Amino acid sequence: MDVLSRIPQLLTYGLISGCILSLGGIGVSLTYSILGFSNFAHGDFMALGAYIALALLPAIAWLGIPAASLGPLSFGWDWILAVLLAAMLSSACVVLLDRLLFRQLRSAHRITLMISTVGVALALRNLIQFIWGPQPQTYASAIQKAIRIERLGIRIKPDQIFIILVALTLATALHLFLRYTKIGKAMRATSDNPSLARVCGIKTERVILWTWIIGASLATVAGALAGIENKFITPELGWQMLLSIFAAVILGGIGNPYGAIVGGLVVGISEEVSTAFISTGYKPAVAFVILILMLLIRPTGLLGRKS
Amino acid sequence: MSRLTASGLVSGYEDMMILHGVSVIVEDGEIVTIIGPNGAGKSTLMKTLFGLLPAIEGSIRFGDLDTTALPPDRLVRLGFAYVPQVANVFPSLTVRENLELGGFVLRENLSRRFDRVFDLFPALRTRKRTRVGNMSGGERQMVAMGRALMLDPRLLMLDEPTAALAPNLAAEIFEQIMAINERGISVLIVEQNAKESLRLSDRGYVLAGGCNRFDGAGMELLENEDIGKLYLGG
Ligand SMILES: Nc1ncnc2c1ncn2[C@@H]1O[C@H](COP(=O)(O)OP(=O)(O)O)[C@@H](O)[C@H]1O
Ligand SMILES: [Mg+2]
Repeated sequence: MDVLSRIPQLLTYGLISGCILSLGGIGVSLTYSILGFSNFAHGDFMALGAYIALALLPAIAWLGIPAASLGPLSFGWDWILAVLLAAMLSSACVVLLDRLLFRQLRSAHRITLMISTVGVALALRNLIQFIWGPQPQTYASAIQKAIRIERLGIRIKPDQIFIILVALTLATALHLFLRYTKIGKAMRATSDNPSLARVCGIKTERVILWTWIIGASLATVAGALAGIENKFITPELGWQMLLSIFAAVILGGIGNPYGAIVGGLVVGISEEVSTAFISTGYKPAVAFVILILMLLIRPTGLLGRKS
Repeated sequence: MSRLTASGLVSGYEDMMILHGVSVIVEDGEIVTIIGPNGAGKSTLMKTLFGLLPAIEGSIRFGDLDTTALPPDRLVRLGFAYVPQVANVFPSLTVRENLELGGFVLRENLSRRFDRVFDLFPALRTRKRTRVGNMSGGERQMVAMGRALMLDPRLLMLDEPTAALAPNLAAEIFEQIMAINERGISVLIVEQNAKESLRLSDRGYVLAGGCNRFDGAGMELLENEDIGKLYLGG
């Protein structure tokens, strides 16, 4: 098959992995804009959420919620419920982590904070491995038939359509949240001018709390969706995506959640389409190249504000 | 009753104290100006009054309430509004959003408050959707003051409201300050080049080296030869 005819299919794969990167990137971007540091543990928040959902599945089955697949999808209501609960539980874990660690370092230098997130990343990944083991685990093993869309020359599985729809829904929800809710406006204000936000009577700690909750919830969904797309989860699930996520966030303009969404899609699509031209083995290098080019040409990112 | 009574304030940054026992009083309905050379501690005083820096010694009363250790979000609820000297707007947000954040702690519908701010600053009414980062210095100062006025405060504290503005714009801002004061809002202004500000003030203070140097009626300070020579540029 010639190279060009494969492009539509690769674009589709890129869109799907881009959706997952976007959901991960939003959290990194929000953390950076509100707390002012790069969170290298964010990938491991994704893995944590994915594993908590896995652990909840038996409990949900015990409650009597059927594990039957939802229509053509490979998973059922039980999985959806597990992911929603996992989002809450991982948010609670992350908020606890903030209270115990990051809050003590609020006025520390951003490099100190960044290094402490690397420590958290290592600790969390090893904790996950300690509890659930290093071997890959699966949510469900139902086989799915891909849908052929001849006109576009692509094949796509129902699960993958679900991933795209979830990402679209959550991105829209985030937009409405930031634009129209009081706490969303407080988050944008704090990101723009933290001291003036305090002068307006905004409680910074409340904004930080919501930043972690949103970041950890979206990370959980991203991790669980990655588990659906890859058919398995491992403790390295998020760490492996972290470079692509950072490339996405910087590409879009670090600190701008909309930029993270755009950046995620661009990086996801670039990585997949690159395989038409270069060996698949070089896929991780694509994110690196994007990252470096962006830092050289336009360090503020595509949607970044000029300072 | 005095609106604001600060006495013997000692405050600063980390372990470097900037204020060494400063006292200021603003009576209800007054305009009070604090003048003093660059680095005198005027902005530090404002940050301390507003709970952004802790007072190591001394006390602050707002009306008949002791507010010495209260954080900004509590002071805002009491009707205390503050416009910082620099970075006093949200540049990536629109005019409307900036004003809305001024009323962040209020639970009521803000539309009447918007109207009142737009009555005072008609130039802003047609630019509600403009990003403040794209506006001129004079317009930004109006947004900054408008944001503070959304609270309908009992005391408005302005840190060098005209410092970066051309003389005609500065005069306009001073007119607006008088209009604000006529609505019964007490105003505390900090100015470096303060002749205009002292002229419209009931009283004034001179701050230098983190200490009170002079105080008196606005005109009295303006006519005092020593102060003129030392602090008002001759
Ligand atoms: N954030 C800060 N950290 C440390 N020192 C500061 C800070 N801001 C101001 N200072 C110092 O405090 C002193 C008084 O500053 P300031 O209150 O801004 O003076 P003014 O407003 O009267 O010009 C100056 O010596 C200044 O260098
Ligand atoms: Mg100053």
